[in-house]
Amino acid sequence: MTRSSSKKPTADLARLGMSASRVAQIIVDENWRVVVASAGAGRLLAREQDEIEGALLEEFVANVEVFAGCTDRECPEDGCFRQLDVNLGNATVAAEAHCERFADADGHMYLNLVLHDASELEARDAMRAARLAKLNLLNQVSEALYGAQLSLPQVLESVLIAMTAGQGLRFNRAFLLLVDERTRRLQGEIAIGPSSRDEADRIWRDLADQPTDLYEMMTSYDTSLKQTDVAVNNIVRELAVDLGDDDHILVRAMHSRRVVHVTEADTGHGLPDVRRWLSVDRFAVAPLATRRGAIGVLIADNAISGLEITELDLEFLQLFANQSANAIESSRLTEELARKVLDLRKAQQKQKEDQQTLLRMERLSVMGETSAIVAHELRNPLVAIGGFARALLRNLPEDDSNRQYAQIITEETSRLERIIHDLLDFIRPQKMMRRNLSPDQVVHEVARKMHPMLQNASVELELDLQAGDTDVNCHPGEIQQVLQNLVFNAVQAQPDGGRIRISSRYLEGGVLIQTADDGPGIATDVADKMFSPFYTTKTAGSGLGLTICAQIIKSHGGVLRGENLSEGGACFSFILPLPKSETENGD
Amino acid sequence: MAKVLIVDDEPHLRLLYETELRRAGYETMTANNADQGLEYVETMGPDLIILDIRMAGMDGIEALQRILDMDNTIPVILNTAYSSYRENYLTWSADAYITKSSDTTELLGKVKELLDAKMVEN
Repeated sequence: MTRSSSKKPTADLARLGMSASRVAQIIVDENWRVVVASAGAGRLLAREQDEIEGALLEEFVANVEVFAGCTDRECPEDGCFRQLDVNLGNATVAAEAHCERFADADGHMYLNLVLHDASELEARDAMRAARLAKLNLLNQVSEALYGAQLSLPQVLESVLIAMTAGQGLRFNRAFLLLVDERTRRLQGEIAIGPSSRDEADRIWRDLADQPTDLYEMMTSYDTSLKQTDVAVNNIVRELAVDLGDDDHILVRAMHSRRVVHVTEADTGHGLPDVRRWLSVDRFAVAPLATRRGAIGVLIADNAISGLEITELDLEFLQLFANQSANAIESSRLTEELARKVLDLRKAQQKQKEDQQTLLRMERLSVMGETSAIVAHELRNPLVAIGGFARALLRNLPEDDSNRQYAQIITEETSRLERIIHDLLDFIRPQKMMRRNLSPDQVVHEVARKMHPMLQNASVELELDLQAGDTDVNCHPGEIQQVLQNLVFNAVQAQPDGGRIRISSRYLEGGVLIQTADDGPGIATDVADKMFSPFYTTKTAGSGLGLTICAQIIKSHGGVLRGENLSEGGACFSFILPLPKSETENGD
Repeated sequence: MAKVLIVDDEPHLRLLYETELRRAGYETMTANNADQGLEYVETMGPDLIILDIRMAGMDGIEALQRILDMDNTIPVILNTAYSSYRENYLTWSADAYITKSSDTTELLGKVKELLDAKMVEN
């Protein structure tokens, strides 16, 4: 159809169209008489169209004076809006009129009035405001969820707060269920909401001036509301549906990708269960779906207020669920990434440590082989030098001045021999067999062996052995060597005599052995060096004694510790492990 | 007078042990390698043998086994610079194991102890 094909006069068509229009529209002349009224105007003014046409405007409008001056050619407010009181006979209702002036070919002035029911406008405004507020919150939630790098639990909590907040979706209760890939179930995670009318009244009163900012909401939730969620969280933990149960209302809703509104009339598989869990007949289920697939559902209800869940509620729930799903997924991926980065760092650290250990071991191994050769090649000539120096010393007369020199050679070679002995012991691989034996017995053996030496040094040895029948797994010779070394050091620390105490105690997993003395204790500058090889405070030591002891204890899976006692003196302690089967039984 | 055979390839050590043992009242004979030592065991019938382990040619461990095959009543003291041989079970059949030292007190003590024991047995 083309424009030129129309034969009807244009004015007739315009009049027809306006007359049939559902928009409330009337045209009045300069004398305020209605010339044309639309069907919509008839409905708004509650009269027949032909009853209105020809009548004066003041018959329907109580405050017709608002149009004073509107027909003047010079009216500066052409196109204005006027508030009218429409007279419906027995009542007056508020309306709004959009007022436009025009003239016909003869120059007569007319007003075209488009009328709106003010109450409808208000309802529409309120609806718009509500949508705006919700969109605003949705925007805030979205910004908060994506921008703030929240942890997964924080994201889940924010989602539920926004669903129940007065500024948010205004549901009474909200439940969140997520897919658990491990158990292949849709599992309840977290919920928010009061459990009774009283509790609800109190919360809503408390929240009368709730903050509009999501962060503030979360804070106020943390401090004041959390304790009220116990009941709903008990409910949500019970919610669990097998993912293979395709027909179940919750699984179906999750895969449908559209919000499902359940009312009293609905029936279906799983519904009785969910109704029993929630103790309500009406609720909404929104799927949480991401590009990678369905990850869970949100359930919302008005269990306390009993208010109807509206189309608008459902529309926003759907929008909100989409946002939430992406936020949850994003947070999960971020956490997963963080975990992987951490794992990677740990692996790198481990690799670095392994490399360092390997390097150290290689160095030690080369050092060990070299030392063994050197030590052996030195020992033979030293034995000869020292042996003959002794012979010389023996043969020289008492008053011979050369005796002193022979004495010095003897002492110095002895010292070198001791160093070689320690060095060979230090680098000797520890392959000896261990066995299960009583630690107290080892201590007694050491006490017996060292008795003459202790007596000479005027040192009293006190034994406080309480390991009893407990056996430990150790190499007896090595542990004797450690104890002898510790006792020897303690004797040297008390040149004028004193006391040494050796004690044993049963602990979980091992036996603690301690040697304590009444000497001056460990000097602070010595404490961190005393276990290092070749460190010594003595004029005649190799500096390997404690290093070897520490190595022996380490090879037994323990640590040799040295510390000063509060009452004075030094105390060295170590733990010997129980035989394997015993520790296993102990566990 | 008891005869002690010293087997060591270090001439100064042979001289040292010889000096010390003679001073202690023993008769001594010295061999500078294991083969010579085995020959003396057969021909000169020592009462006790002090045997080094690390020697050029046959080492002390092999020599020990051969001595035991020849006459397992002669006490043998392994006298070595290596304390680690103590872990080698082949050295366990020796009567004593001593790490070489310029202080010969331990060596002389062990010689006396073993010879005294042998005398009691006889």
